[in-house]
Amino acid sequence: MKKQLTGLIIIWALLIFSLPAFAGVALDTAQKSVNGVLDVLRDPKLKPASATELKKEKLRVIYKNMFDEVEFSKRTLTRNWNTFSPAQRTEFVTLFEQILENSYADKILSYTNEKVEFYKENKLSDTQVEVQSKIITSSKEIPIFYRMILKDGKWKVYDVVIENVSLVQNYRTQFNDILAKDKPEKLLETLRKKLNKK
Amino acid sequence: MIVCVFVLCAQGLAYGQETSFTVGPQDESVSQQIVSSAKATPDLTSEDQSKTASNNPTDELSEDYHEDEILEEYAAKIKEEKVEIADPLEPLNRVFHEFNDKLYFWALKPVAQGYKAVVPEPARVSVKNFFSNLAFPARFLSCLLQADFSGAATEAGRFTINTLWGIGGLMDPSSGKELNLQKQDTDLGQTLGVWGVGQGFYIVWPVFGPYSFRDTVILAGDYFIYPVSYINPWYASWGVRAYEEVNATSLRIGDYEALKDAAIDPYVAFRDAYAQYRFKKIKARKTKLTLSAPAAQQGKPADAELLNKEN
Repeated sequence: MKKQLTGLIIIWALLIFSLPAFAGVALDTAQKSVNGVLDVLRDPKLKPASATELKKEKLRVIYKNMFDEVEFSKRTLTRNWNTFSPAQRTEFVTLFEQILENSYADKILSYTNEKVEFYKENKLSDTQVEVQSKIITSSKEIPIFYRMILKDGKWKVYDVVIENVSLVQNYRTQFNDILAKDKPEKLLETLRKKLNKK
Repeated sequence: MIVCVFVLCAQGLAYGQETSFTVGPQDESVSQQIVSSAKATPDLTSEDQSKTASNNPTDELSEDYHEDEILEEYAAKIKEEKVEIADPLEPLNRVFHEFNDKLYFWALKPVAQGYKAVVPEPARVSVKNFFSNLAFPARFLSCLLQADFSGAATEAGRFTINTLWGIGGLMDPSSGKELNLQKQDTDLGQTLGVWGVGQGFYIVWPVFGPYSFRDTVILAGDYFIYPVSYINPWYASWGVRAYEEVNATSLRIGDYEALKDAAIDPYVAFRDAYAQYRFKKIKARKTKLTLSAPAAQQGKPADAELLNKEN
C-alpha cells in the first residue's frame, strides 16, 4: 500500500514538473507592460500638456523592456541583414526605432478610456509564442497579437500583428522593394531623410 | 463601404504604436558598447568581461539573420506570413493611390472633422450601426453561398432583432452578452476566396481604394444588393453613401495618417496591409467552415483545436 502511494506521488511529481515551463509567462509579461503604459497614460499628474515629454520618457522605459528591437529589425530585413555591415546595422536599428516613435507617439498619447484585454497564448515554437489581446474602444474592438521570443529567460516582443496585419511583414515588403534595386546605404539614406523631415 | 476597406487597412496598422518608443538614451549606449566590445581592454577583470558579453546588444547585432526553425505542426501558421499580391499595374496604381490620398486630406478629412465637432460620438456610433444593419443582405448572401448556415441564421436573427428592438438598426442589442449574436464579418470577395478563387492582382480604384481583382466583386455586390443603391434619384443615393463614409471616417480620424506616417513607402505599405488583411480574413472563414463541418470534428483536428490543445 505504502509502496503504491509512493509510486503515485512520483508519477504525480513527474507530471507536474514536466509541464511546459512557459505556459502563461509570456502573456503575463506582455500584459504587465501594457498595463504599465495605460497607468502612465491615465496618470492625472501627467495630464497637463507640459508633461508630454515626461510621459514619453516613461513610456520609452516600458517599451525598451518589452521589445527586442534588434530582433524586430532583423526580421524586417531578413537575409538582407547579412549584407549590412556592423555600423550599418547599428544605424538601421536606431533610425528605424526613431521613425516608429515619431509616427506613433501622438497616437498612443491620445488613448485614455480604452480597455485592453489579454485572452490567449498560442505556442509557435519552443521559444516563440503569440499572445492575443484586444483593445476595446467605444466604437470598435481591435485585435492586437504580440509575437514574443524567449531569450536569456526573458520574453520579448519581436512582432505586433494588428487586425491581422503583421508589422514585421509590412516593413519587410517595403524594405525588400527598396533593397531589390538598391544597396543598404540607399535604404539608410531614405530613413535618414524621412527622420529629418520631421 | 467605398474608401472603407482602404482605411480599414490604415486602421490596422495605426495601432502599431507598441513598436515605437524604444529609442532615446539607449542609442548612444549601443554604439558605445560596440566600441567597448571592439577593444575589450585588458584592464577589465574577467568578471566584467563576461558581464559585458551577456548583456550586450551588440552580440545580437553581429549575429547574422537565420530563418526560424519551424515545428511541423505550426508550419501552416508561420507560412501564412509570406503573403504577397501581384502588382502589374503598379505605375497606374500609384497614381490612383496618390489621388485617393489627396481626396482624403483635402475633402474627406476636413468634412469628417467638422462633422465630428458637431455630432457627439454615441450618435455617430448609432449611425454606423444603422448602415451596418442595412448592409445585411450582402453578409447573409455570402454566408449562404459559403454553406455557412449557422452564420446566415445569425445574420437573419441580428437583422430582425436590431431592426425591431434596436430602433431600425441604430442600436445593436444582438451583440450584447445575453443574445451574443455577433456580426458575420464576411463579404462576396471572401466567398470567392473560400471557393478557391485566387486573389488576382492588385488594383487601386479611384475613390474606392485598394482591392484585389477578385475582391472587386465586393463593389459590384455593394451596388446591386445594398439597399442604399436603390434610393431615387441617383444623386440622393450617392449623397447617402458619402454621408455614410464621412460618418465612418469621423470615428477613425488619425488612423490613416499614422500608418502613412510610419511607412517608408506608403504605397507598398498599404498594398501589403491589404494583402495580409484579406488573406487572413479568408483563412479565418475557411477555418470556421471546416470546424463546423461534421467530418472535421471526427477526423483530424483543425488548426484552432490543435492550438487549444497545445495550451
